[in-house]
Amino acid sequence: MISTYKGLNRALVIGSILGIALLYAFPLISKTTSNPSFYLQVVSVAAFSAILTISLNICMGYGGLLSLMHTGMQMIGGYTIGILMVKKGWNGWLGLIMAAAVGAIFAVLVILLSLRATYLYFGMITLAINLIAMETVRHGGELTDGYDGLFGIFAPGIPSGIMSADTFYVVVVTILIAIYVVQRNLILSGFGRNTMALRESSETATALGISPNMHRLKVFAVSGAIAGLAGGLLSMQMGYAFSEIGDLNNGLIFFVGLFLGGVGTLAGPILGVALVAVIDFSIRGTAQYRTLILGAILLTTMIIMPRGIVGTYRASRYGSPRSREVMPGEADNYQLDIEVKGVAKNEVILEAVDVVKHFGGVHAVDGISVQFKAGEIHGIIGPNGSGKSTLISAMTRYHELTSGSVKLFGTEAAKKPFQVARDGVTRVFQIPHLFERVSVLDNVLTGMYRRDNYNVFDAILRTPRYKKANSRSVAEAKALLSMAGMLGKEELAAGSISHGQKRLLEVIRAVATQPKILILDEPATGLTQDELLSLKTLIRKLAKSGMCIVLIEHNVAFLMDLADIVTVIQSGKVIAEGTPHAVQKDERVLEAYLGNTDFSKELA
Amino acid sequence: MGLQIWIDGFFTGSVYAIIALSMTIVYQPTRIMNFAQGEGFILGAALGYQFIGVWKWPLLTSVLVLIVLAIIMGFIMERMIMLPVQLSGSKFAWIIATLAAALVFQSIFNIKYVNVTFSYFEFIEKDISIGGAKLSIQKLLVILFMIAIYAANELFLKKTLWGRSIRAIAHNPDTSTILGIPTKPVIKLGFVTGTIVIALVGFLAAPVIIVAPAAGLFYTIQGFTAGIIGGVGNAKGAVVGGLTIGILDSVVRSWLGGTWGLFSTFFVLAAILILRPNGFFGKRVEGR
Repeated sequence: MISTYKGLNRALVIGSILGIALLYAFPLISKTTSNPSFYLQVVSVAAFSAILTISLNICMGYGGLLSLMHTGMQMIGGYTIGILMVKKGWNGWLGLIMAAAVGAIFAVLVILLSLRATYLYFGMITLAINLIAMETVRHGGELTDGYDGLFGIFAPGIPSGIMSADTFYVVVVTILIAIYVVQRNLILSGFGRNTMALRESSETATALGISPNMHRLKVFAVSGAIAGLAGGLLSMQMGYAFSEIGDLNNGLIFFVGLFLGGVGTLAGPILGVALVAVIDFSIRGTAQYRTLILGAILLTTMIIMPRGIVGTYRASRYGSPRSREVMPGEADNYQLDIEVKGVAKNEVILEAVDVVKHFGGVHAVDGISVQFKAGEIHGIIGPNGSGKSTLISAMTRYHELTSGSVKLFGTEAAKKPFQVARDGVTRVFQIPHLFERVSVLDNVLTGMYRRDNYNVFDAILRTPRYKKANSRSVAEAKALLSMAGMLGKEELAAGSISHGQKRLLEVIRAVATQPKILILDEPATGLTQDELLSLKTLIRKLAKSGMCIVLIEHNVAFLMDLADIVTVIQSGKVIAEGTPHAVQKDERVLEAYLGNTDFSKELA
Repeated sequence: MGLQIWIDGFFTGSVYAIIALSMTIVYQPTRIMNFAQGEGFILGAALGYQFIGVWKWPLLTSVLVLIVLAIIMGFIMERMIMLPVQLSGSKFAWIIATLAAALVFQSIFNIKYVNVTFSYFEFIEKDISIGGAKLSIQKLLVILFMIAIYAANELFLKKTLWGRSIRAIAHNPDTSTILGIPTKPVIKLGFVTGTIVIALVGFLAAPVIIVAPAAGLFYTIQGFTAGIIGGVGNAKGAVVGGLTIGILDSVVRSWLGGTWGLFSTFFVLAAILILRPNGFFGKRVEGR
């Protein structure tokens, strides 16, 4: 089976090369038809659509940001190049670069305005802004020539004159391929992993130290730049910029292409748009039915093939990766010494001082002070609803405190959850929070992104700096996986592994962030005996390296066996603290758990 | 002059309020803001134009046939939107599906009516005078219709078993199904009622406002803006929001000219979304 997967992949590579060759040879092929320039135009318009759809795929498919203003950004790209060429006399290619820049700036402005919006509102804001942009252009007076549209845009030849249609076509195809490579390199790098992490769970991404707002801004800027570029190219081809380009109706083709090809897949946009172009071409005689037919195709695709062509293939047994066989002794290649730097033994890392958290009348945490020290395993137990998880959320800044303070290394902890995470506090949530659609390896790598010292451009261009950082991270991630006995499962989608392995993977991913303090909220729930043992070994090893482990657990036997110190919480207050042995003897603890003191004394 | 602007605004606001109410009716059991809702408005206007303006049918027949066709449209829309939503699993499914449905209906109207705006005579051509300002009976009908729909919706939700089922489904469709509430029929009813309501207002209002075949999305956005101002899924909010943008539009129009009226709504929408993501009265909405 593994060989089938590889074989199919090889066939896909060969197919892609043939496809590219065909695209480049198309000017020659079109010469054999009755109307070469028409056919050439059909293909190049499809290429612009593909570029725009890639842009939509980056923000919507990977970033989870539903933009209904991509046609608007396309229009803005067209007007940028139009105003610069026609009104200001700039060179068209410079204008094209500016179109991308303006697209990016516009996208950044929009996202700055809508940082607080949820995804539904984000879609609505973009829709409103699209309408505002179209109206603005129509009333732009001299600058945009209003309702008439801006004429006189062309693709300048190099060094001068007007570029021939054939050459322009080659330029367009080259740009399309370049944009595809940009998409691929970005998505497969740490940038893409963070993007997908945010899409899957903003909360978890934050716990790994990713700043949701900053990263969304970057994603949308990249998407905006590509959309502006596509718009500029489109206007070069058509010769004019026109407000109707921004009409949402014209955006239908991108959504159809994206859903048909597969949302959030690399090849989906190109494959989908190619198909739509073929459909579009075959219905060209009945232009008034175009929207109707495309809309029907979109709805049908969503019903019968929700993942699109590429997504369906990837989810099928031919297109999805399997666990590979681990070579004997392979695990020895991945040895990792975990070392917590800059922390003295027994130093207080994280401290709650009189922390109070009320939800309306519910006193979830009612004045708790607790210290977590380097190298210790600190257990927290308490009945359901006693405020354990709330305390952790308050200490990691997921909840605002009602009163009290949280200190990290003796000073007031940062205010935002992602900042606290960056300062060395990593938490693992009570309910599994894996990035399920992302591979096991990528889940771990997402935890490491703070150490990736390359930027967006390194990732796009695959510079040596990127390659070095990437291979180092992959080796480290494999070492961590090997520690949890998960070597060989790197390529599997995280959603497809067993519950116990998911829990372990989450701990591994948290360790990958190199925390000073690791907070585990009921990690042992639902684990088998073997998995419990692996977890126990791992926790001991981490504590030995100087890391502080905070363990919230209902499995008392598991906790008492591991913990150096145990804090017992009831009704939002600490009722006991001490060694496991002492706590087990504490009267108030027995009362909290068993209710009847006399009876529990009898038991003891 | 001053009062006239407010009265005109109140009328336009009532139109938007009914649109928002019909969107609320669909939203309550489904948690879907239906982008195709405005197409029901166009259906009402187009059929009014066809039946009364072109074929000269009597009023009652026209209304009855309109209601039948609106019911059919409601059923079709429900399938077009709920099937992709249920099968696709993407959290954007409902936005994309309702948009696609909107564009499909829009293109049907565009194909049938080229270069037509749906205008026909008012049913009762008479004005009443309020303190020197005029209000036509036609406009008054729209305002009364808005009040009636609001009251009926409130009564239905609070007093009937179906109404309580809708509220239960809004909270949790799965639990509702387990409790024996017929979830699917309730959702169908939502789409059908919503479409009847919006088609009727399209039918009533078209003689006094200009309605173009492609304007469905515009009315959807007006209704949505009204909903956002008042808080999505909240009938009272829909009315307050609709009246607010209607009056705002009218006032801004008389100050700065027609285009600015349009701008003002979009700006208000953007401003509210940015400053008060929960609307003025509503709870935070998280779509489906």
